[in-house]
Amino acid sequence: MIQVENLMKRYAGGEAVRGITFSVEKGEVVGFLGPNGAGKSTTMRMLTGYLPPTDGRIEVAGAKLPKESLLVRQRIGYMPENVPLYPEMRVEEFLEYRGRLKRVSRGEITHRVGLVLDQCGLTDVRGKIIGSLSKGFRQRVGLADALVHNPMLLILDEPTAGLDPHQIRSFRELIKELGKDRTILLSTHILSEVEMVCRRAIIINKGKIEASDTLANLEKRVQAGALQIEVKADPAVAKEKLTKIAEVSLVTELNRAGDWVSYEVTAAPGKDIRGEVDGLIKREQWPLREFRREKARLEDVFVELTQD
Amino acid sequence: MTRALWILWKREVGAILHSPIAWVLLTCMSLINGFSFSQCVAYLGQGVKEFTVMQIYFYIFHFWFLLIILVPILTMRLFSEEYKTGTIEMLLTAPVRDGDVILSKFFGVLFFYLLLWIPSLLGLAIFQVVTHQAVPVAWIPLGFSYLMVTLVGMLYLSIGLFASVLTRNQAVAAMISFTMIALLFFAGFLSYLVRDPGWRDALSYIFTLEQMRSFSAGQFDSRPVVLYLSGTAFFLILTRQVMAGRRLKG
Repeated sequence: MIQVENLMKRYAGGEAVRGITFSVEKGEVVGFLGPNGAGKSTTMRMLTGYLPPTDGRIEVAGAKLPKESLLVRQRIGYMPENVPLYPEMRVEEFLEYRGRLKRVSRGEITHRVGLVLDQCGLTDVRGKIIGSLSKGFRQRVGLADALVHNPMLLILDEPTAGLDPHQIRSFRELIKELGKDRTILLSTHILSEVEMVCRRAIIINKGKIEASDTLANLEKRVQAGALQIEVKADPAVAKEKLTKIAEVSLVTELNRAGDWVSYEVTAAPGKDIRGEVDGLIKREQWPLREFRREKARLEDVFVELTQD
Repeated sequence: MTRALWILWKREVGAILHSPIAWVLLTCMSLINGFSFSQCVAYLGQGVKEFTVMQIYFYIFHFWFLLIILVPILTMRLFSEEYKTGTIEMLLTAPVRDGDVILSKFFGVLFFYLLLWIPSLLGLAIFQVVTHQAVPVAWIPLGFSYLMVTLVGMLYLSIGLFASVLTRNQAVAAMISFTMIALLFFAGFLSYLVRDPGWRDALSYIFTLEQMRSFSAGQFDSRPVVLYLSGTAFFLILTRQVMAGRRLKG
């Protein structure tokens, strides 16, 4: 659906995108992840034909850019960052205008607009002026606009930025739902978003791709996570015994409260030490009141890959 | 007219008619037009015989002053606003050509510009009623006059459109187009001053006021038609170039 080779974008002030290569297959929901200013928006703007690339090859929805820009633009639905809309238009009127502009036929337009109004939960506000809508609704209008011509590919640039937690949740549900029969590329710097809606993530930093893999594989990249335990034991002895376990690489004392002491026990990469630690506690008959494994999160992957 | 152009044009006209500025302009135009027209009639009432009322109307200061002020106000928001609010990105990622976007804005604002001159025609109609049609309407000079109003308007609006694509600040766009239009308009007067015949010819070629005088007297000249049409095309093409250039910058 998307094929990008060696894509570059150079501005007078420097390089925003420095030779990235990636692809998105049909039916995938891919998160485009990176810190602010990493080149996400620039890349997306090039994919939608808005910005001409300095160098590289782009093929989107079966057409080449920038040569077949009109064809690409007709086949994709794009929701730009901050969702710019015409504030003086009414919701339904705006969607009809956008649909007609994106070549939905006169006979079909009413049906299509009705469908996306319903899909995006806008039926109640269809007659309202866009300028009077809340941010959450405006975001929905932007999504409805991206969907109105039934595109095969959706490109969403930070679709949940600026929404409140309720709106974010319902918006993600909506995107998840749409991902069932469409290809979606969405950018964000919010990691939980990718964890919730995407199966694959492309991590970009300073205009370069740092990683492109399924979420499960990305999580394997960082250490399997640490174990947190809190036991009643002699601190020095406990620490020594924990350290002696073969697969443990590091033991850090976190806190002491009376007789209770808590540790963070870090395993060697890729090892699971839960069994061994549990065995030790049972052998020593230490009273235990906390036993918790910190799961490696996408956030750790992200921080590790994008730090300087 | 392509389908996209028609859809875009409808939205442009809609946007203009939905803005308060449009109605304020229409009201002010009617006021000033009415004032200027009654002055013209008063002038005739003093026994002036060699001019028709429309000849005076299109020649006096009010008309030109209005035209030079009006166009920058009409055109300043056309592109500036789209760039400022970011809607330009939404617009240009739809399957439409840059040319369609520019032409739709141009023809949209031209349509409203022509609407603004309707009150001046009403003045003439009232004049006819009040004088019990004692003065026959000279249709050909009248038609030529409005042709000239259209042609000059086209050039000035295209300059305004060009200024608007340069910046996201509406006030800056208005100032740029006002300066360009004013310089172009007043440059004609230099033909009174320069001695060099080559310069004098060149300057009189762009002397809008004189051209208007001959058109409103019913004398057709094809040179101004060519000048204003080619000038309009020039600024529209320039607008397209700037738009493409702005994309390169990101």
